[in-house]
Amino acid sequence: MEQEIVLKPEILGFFHSFPVTNTLFTSWIVMSVITIITIILAYSIKTIPGTLQSLFEIIIDTGYSTVEGLAESKSKVFFPFVMTFFFYILFSNLLGLFPGFGTITFKGAPLLRSMNSDLNMTLGLALFSAFMTHFFAIRYLGFVDYLKKWFTLNPIFLFVGILELIGEITKIVSLSFRLFGNIFAGEVVLSTVSSIFAFIVPLPFYFLEIIVGFVQAAVFMMLTLVFMVILSEKHGAEQHS
Amino acid sequence: MDILNQFGINPVLLAAQVVNFLILLFILKKFAYGPILKVLDERKKTIADSLKNAEEIEKKLALTEEEKEKILAKTSLEAQKILDNTKKEIEVMKEEGKHQAEAMAAQIIKKGKEEALAEMEKRQQEFMAGVAEIVAIAVEKVVGKVLTKKDKEELVAKSIRSLQ
Repeated sequence: MEQEIVLKPEILGFFHSFPVTNTLFTSWIVMSVITIITIILAYSIKTIPGTLQSLFEIIIDTGYSTVEGLAESKSKVFFPFVMTFFFYILFSNLLGLFPGFGTITFKGAPLLRSMNSDLNMTLGLALFSAFMTHFFAIRYLGFVDYLKKWFTLNPIFLFVGILELIGEITKIVSLSFRLFGNIFAGEVVLSTVSSIFAFIVPLPFYFLEIIVGFVQAAVFMMLTLVFMVILSEKHGAEQHS
Repeated sequence: MDILNQFGINPVLLAAQVVNFLILLFILKKFAYGPILKVLDERKKTIADSLKNAEEIEKKLALTEEEKEKILAKTSLEAQKILDNTKKEIEVMKEEGKHQAEAMAAQIIKKGKEEALAEMEKRQQEFMAGVAEIVAIAVEKVVGKVLTKKDKEELVAKSIRSLQ
């Protein structure tokens, strides 16, 4: 079965004038999966944990101590955002490996497509990550100090500041394209290998994709965390003196 | 922006993804992060408390053990003392008993002697009376007259007096 490689997500239909793409549809599935697990978890929380609770405790505790190590006093604020990026990306990446993705078709287009193999989705996440990063920076530094990060009277620092401002845009590009590239490439590899020989041969690639899915989620999470911490830190002291 | 078009970037879809994320953020924060972090915190506290308690209990145990030793030592010392005292008392009592017994024996002996003496006197008096009788009879025989009762008594008294 020959599948053409398309960058654009296929539009399944329109809800009024709102285009519902297959990746958006997948994102809703991911959301509902996470929501269901979360609600089951919420109603089974005990002091002596069960299996599900233990698993989530390990993940959340590790995540929290990581955030705490970097953000210290701001960890309570940063943690939910950072952890949600992790869960959302991890679940969508892993769900994208399930059978049926790319193979079930609806009106000639695949009904399900791994969420992050669409730049819309990753760019949405990256934009929101950047938005929150700057929002926190303004909240913790104040608007004036925030502006002083980029614009100073010292021409050298002004130049550096403007470079850094461009760097902020690159951050968005790098975050979104890294995730998109990894997952999209994985999809392409899997479909190509499967079209060569569908049995057993794709298995190593599936294992690889499981690792990639986890690593990319962790990378996105860590980068967002680091950006947030760096930008909301008062390192203006060396610039003033 | 041809490149964005190639990737099929649609602002509506970006917004949809952001909304998705916000919904997830809300759900996870409310049902997962909050409760789990709370439980973890509570458990940490419980463990810390338990450890502290265990330490305290151990300390108390050691203290109790020490006190026990002390009390035991004290008790055995006291017991020894009591034993010694008792021994002494017994000794004293023995001594006393001995003294008493000796005194009693002496008394008994004294009493016996007195009694024996009294008996002897009595016997002597009886014997004297007998002798007087004989004397009276003999005198009667010799004198040849019957003595009146008054004479007899006088005679007896006289002879007894001479005998003594």
